Amino acid sequence: MSTTEAPPRHPPVTAAPRGTPQSPLEETGRGTRWVVWLVLALFMLWTLVPLVWMLMSSFKNRTDVTAATPQVAFQPTLDNYRGLFSGPNNLTPYIWHSVLAAGISAVLAVCLGSLAGYGLARTAMRGKRHLAFWIISTRMAPIAAVVVPLFIIFRGLNLIDTIPGLVLAYLTFNLPFAIWLMSAFFAEVPPSLEESALVAGCTRWQAFWTVILPLTKAGLVTTFILCLVFAWNDYAFAVVFSGPNSQTLPIAASQLVTQTGVDWGQLTAIGTIVVVPMMLAGLAVRRWLVTGLTLGAVTGE
Amino acid sequence: MTHAADHSPVLERARPETAKPREPRIGFEGAMMTPGLILLAALSIVPFLALIAMSFSHVRLLGGVSLDLVGLRNWARFFTDADMWMSWLRTIVYFVLTVGLEMVLGVAVALCLYRVLRGRNVLLGLLLLPMFVAPSIVGLLGRYLTDSTFGLYAWVLRSLGYSGDILGSPISAFAAVVFMDVWEWTPLIALITLAGLASVPQSVREAAAVDGAPGWMTLRYIVFPAISNVLLVALLIRSMDAIRYFDIIWVTTNGGPADATKIVPVRLYETAFRFFDLGYAAAIGLAMLAFSIFIARTFVRLLDVRGLTR
Repeated sequence: MSTTEAPPRHPPVTAAPRGTPQSPLEETGRGTRWVVWLVLALFMLWTLVPLVWMLMSSFKNRTDVTAATPQVAFQPTLDNYRGLFSGPNNLTPYIWHSVLAAGISAVLAVCLGSLAGYGLARTAMRGKRHLAFWIISTRMAPIAAVVVPLFIIFRGLNLIDTIPGLVLAYLTFNLPFAIWLMSAFFAEVPPSLEESALVAGCTRWQAFWTVILPLTKAGLVTTFILCLVFAWNDYAFAVVFSGPNSQTLPIAASQLVTQTGVDWGQLTAIGTIVVVPMMLAGLAVRRWLVTGLTLGAVTGE
Repeated sequence: MTHAADHSPVLERARPETAKPREPRIGFEGAMMTPGLILLAALSIVPFLALIAMSFSHVRLLGGVSLDLVGLRNWARFFTDADMWMSWLRTIVYFVLTVGLEMVLGVAVALCLYRVLRGRNVLLGLLLLPMFVAPSIVGLLGRYLTDSTFGLYAWVLRSLGYSGDILGSPISAFAAVVFMDVWEWTPLIALITLAGLASVPQSVREAAAVDGAPGWMTLRYIVFPAISNVLLVALLIRSMDAIRYFDIIWVTTNGGPADATKIVPVRLYETAFRFFDLGYAAAIGLAMLAFSIFIARTFVRLLDVRGLTR
């Protein structure tokens, strides 16, 4: 910090424009700046190379995909994607199953979760802390420990290899997540708003529906998207509960790995299809990601 | 971060006056919670009781599900199974390595990102991408990248002088699955830490700079104490997910080679759905559940004590 002698040029209260340090005291030395850029560049490489490689490989033909020396310049082809949607192993039903199972479970989780989350945020009942703990520990329960009893129960109820079965399985982690997260979002809304709505003659439900819910739109969207991502990306439940009538995309991807060999071109194509929508959805709620992923414990930037 | 408004005495007092009678007010919140909680109970308490019952029985699947009580046999096996203890040990090593590396790398990247003033959002957006990749796809992609004949990373390693089969030998396979997990989840730690860094007051850091504190001292005595809560949250969130997910191992090595990557959840899956010994699997599941409840307990207590929410 050798810049201490520089006189402060701007008034101390205003925020500095984007791209300049908040305060002259915060300026970074040249050495530090080099280290920062080096670390970030290396980390960017480490993060992005696999993703870019997956995207590139999905456009390669059979020989380029498994070439002994990595092919960077190649003739792009859509054969892998075309192969996925024609021929005996059509991907369309898998996509449909994934959309249904993940979509329905996310919608149900958000609907029930916002009702229960509101109740949890505003209730003054005595066992509230125990209730909250039960909810959070349900969310944290290891999948492996949940799958075993559910397998027995689903077998009894004939829910194995059905979409409703998968939806229920996904609700085991999405519902407690939605309740907990929505209650964190509702807790941010000052209770005085409802009070003024009640004074103005609303019923409790009207106050919730017309005043509070519109204020937590960001929370609703974030919760929905995170629930969707968790369910869409699930593999551990689907591998146990799904059969030919309900297999999801991650299962389709893993089924390409066979004893006789792997069609890596098609596999990277499925990978791209699975990953891209979730990345777009996730980045769409970037501002609330911190709040969402920490279950409301940390508020974002 | 704290919701002072919730606990303000004025509002507490004001509330019963605006809401007319006391009974229906509780009733409304209760009614709101009911549908969700009933479903949650059906999805958590019923399986939990079933899990306990199963851990004391031999589960038969043929000709309809039936439980034969066998007393403590599953538990006796659980505590005497040497392979099982090795699995727990391996789980702990896997857990410490992945979560530890993720914390160190994530905090380092967040500190660097915080120094970047122009284009931080674009950089962060790109860095976050691995979090949204399905873990099973991460595993399959990892297999593709480390394949000994055509994998990109295997090729890089070969030019650096290492030419073994990465997923074929115990130590390198273990390292590979650790790195795949680190690849996927370091961005989460970086994201949470960055949110914490943004909340360190400007004035405090300025005061440190005015006093002539060198950069590392500011970090050690100003920044880290200020973000310790956030770091703890990140650690707990990551810990709970680290024991939940095992998809990466399941699709890459499936526990092999020579059991080198057979952590507890993988062993449970194998016991339950390959050997169909569901009673023993239930005992393992209960032990895992105890661990995760411990973490949940710590998480909730942290929120209560430090007032991070509610």
